[in-house]
Amino acid sequence: MSPAVHLAATGHGFLSPTGVEIAFLLVGIATFGAAVVTVTTRQLVHAALWLVVALGGLAVEYLLLTAEFIAWVQVLIYVGSVVVLLLFGLMLTRAPIGRSPDADSGNRPAALAVAVAAAGVLVWVVVDAFRTTWIELDKGVQGSTAVSGESLFRHWVLPFEALSVLLLAALVGAIVLSRRHGHDSGRGAGHGKEKR
Amino acid sequence: MGIPGSGLAKGLAVTLRTMTRKSHTAQYPDAQPELPPRTRGVIGLFEENCTVCMLCARECPDWCIYIDSHKETVPPAAPGGRERSRNVLDRFAIDFALCMYCGICIEVCPFDALFWSPEFEYAEEDIRDLTHERDKLREWMWTVPAPPALDPRAEEPKELAAARKAADKLAAAEAAQAAEAAQAQNGRGSEGDEDGNGNRTGNGAAS
Amino acid sequence: MNDVLDVALRLLALLLAFLVLPLVVGQTEHKVMAHMQGRLGPMYAGGFHGWAQLVADGVKFAQKEDVVPAGADRRIFQLAPAVALLPYLLVLVAIPIGPAEGAVGQVLDAGIFFVLAVMGVGVLGSLMAGWASANKFSLLGGLRTAAQLMAYELPMLLTAASVAMAAGTVSLPGILDAFEWWWVPWQIVGGVVFFTAGLAELQRPPFDAPIADSEIIFGAYTEYTGLRFALFLLAEYAGIVVLCGLTTVLFLGGWHGPFADGLGWLWTLLKTAVLAFVVIWLRVSYPRLREDQLQRFAWTCLIPLSLAQIALTGVVKVVIS
Repeated sequence: MSPAVHLAATGHGFLSPTGVEIAFLLVGIATFGAAVVTVTTRQLVHAALWLVVALGGLAVEYLLLTAEFIAWVQVLIYVGSVVVLLLFGLMLTRAPIGRSPDADSGNRPAALAVAVAAAGVLVWVVVDAFRTTWIELDKGVQGSTAVSGESLFRHWVLPFEALSVLLLAALVGAIVLSRRHGHDSGRGAGHGKEKR
Repeated sequence: MGIPGSGLAKGLAVTLRTMTRKSHTAQYPDAQPELPPRTRGVIGLFEENCTVCMLCARECPDWCIYIDSHKETVPPAAPGGRERSRNVLDRFAIDFALCMYCGICIEVCPFDALFWSPEFEYAEEDIRDLTHERDKLREWMWTVPAPPALDPRAEEPKELAAARKAADKLAAAEAAQAAEAAQAQNGRGSEGDEDGNGNRTGNGAAS
Repeated sequence: MNDVLDVALRLLALLLAFLVLPLVVGQTEHKVMAHMQGRLGPMYAGGFHGWAQLVADGVKFAQKEDVVPAGADRRIFQLAPAVALLPYLLVLVAIPIGPAEGAVGQVLDAGIFFVLAVMGVGVLGSLMAGWASANKFSLLGGLRTAAQLMAYELPMLLTAASVAMAAGTVSLPGILDAFEWWWVPWQIVGGVVFFTAGLAELQRPPFDAPIADSEIIFGAYTEYTGLRFALFLLAEYAGIVVLCGLTTVLFLGGWHGPFADGLGWLWTLLKTAVLAFVVIWLRVSYPRLREDQLQRFAWTCLIPLSLAQIALTGVVKVVIS
């Protein structure tokens, strides 16, 4: 994400960054570092906790861009729920304290290629979408709840609804899957235990 | 039962009601507990009554009573009489580390030398110090409460009944004697009755 | 310079509240619980009815040896108490206490989301502790914590959303500004659900299966001693303060009440204190829910109730507008 900032900053004075920009960059570096550690560490639970750091760093970036609402939702959903779910799953496995010798599957080069490709696509899309659009951080809050809500439910309401249908489909699919297992082993097993 | 959730409300009500009432905590070191009169706290020794008969030591299931004694000869009470030997208590100790507070020693003591005392603060830091000697046991005797009063309209204790019977008999005898004496006085005066009376009173009390 | 002083003063006041209020709640719990059970509770520390008991406890904890089990994951084990405690300190920043401009640590645009998000982060501390202790009971406690969080976070969010819908804003002072007295009966179901789910998230009895001492010793905190254990306990009581304050602000009208202009802060504190009393009261009155009962209660009782509350809020909102 930092190239976008660079690109945007060129219009503003690349060599005289403001305090917010410096902080943004530093947090970005820290987030990136945490993300790298997440995928390279050999300790499973440590990876999950580094993921917390990376996601929290992202939330801080949102905050620095004055998108307060997005930042807190990021913390709420990703740190508060997704990582908890992840840790819950890890605790159900035999995640050892210390290194897991079989943490690597030998697909490292392929994974790296996929990651680089994904990052490239994302960066390209973002750069192409915004080019030199400049967000004036000083002129009031631009990512406030009201602004986000308005743009979400006025301009982007169709994608929003499509996404919610997708999530609903996933939900129904999860229920169907868990029900089918319950049917084989006995009627009471899947009773009232739908996953969120 | 009835309305759903009424059980939950009942639970809350119980705790709230308890909170408004006085608590049951005994604030022991600040306030001494009020013990019932027959509390089995510790065993006191009234050593003046002890004749070293050893019944307590023999009956003790734990063998926790230690008694040492020696014999002394007592000079004859009256000149020309026989010398009597008497047991003198040298040591009377109860090992409260062994004692199980069954109270058998107190039950079997024929001379009322052992008593329950409600005293309970005699903890020691060393188990060996729990063997308490006769001076300590004698001291505890002061904490023995007076026997509780009888229930109203209870049957008279046997001792009292026996004493009263004896006293009644004595009174009757005295009355008879007095009547006799009066008769005799009427006849010719009398002498030396009081001595005889005194002796009989003594016999009556001892029986 | 004036701004710096202002910020410093606010932070100091927050820190003070953070250190004092949980202790007050803890001491109240000692005494209220004791009297509800026909006891007296602490009577010696500090002289008057044991008022300094928790201070004495703190001194005791500080003197204890800080043991880290040999098999534990050292760094995570040591970090966990801080992760558990700090979020509650952060949450206090956003809770408005009075009507005045300066009666809140920091006005946040998305206050509700901030508060709920950061409270959810606090549970990570328990999870870290549960995993890093290398103890089966800790692990079980961590698992139960995670399951409980996932089940009860949803009704909490839904009911908070209901209030936000009613007020038309997600900022906590904004909600209080929009508050009317008839919101209390209107949102009462949501309030009960929010409070109950919050209790479960704090792992307070009767929802304390994750730390059930008769089953799994002390759950995730089994291996902790000394100061770190005290920090976990402090987090629990700080959590009570935060939950009660939040319920007050969202559902009971915060500083609203007679003479709110001068005594608003007192109303907030009073309502919070009453709720804290209820927390203690519930702890004394009810037995612990079993793990499956916990899950069933959340999914089949609280979530439908909160959805119904949202529907009701929406209907009323449309009708009155």
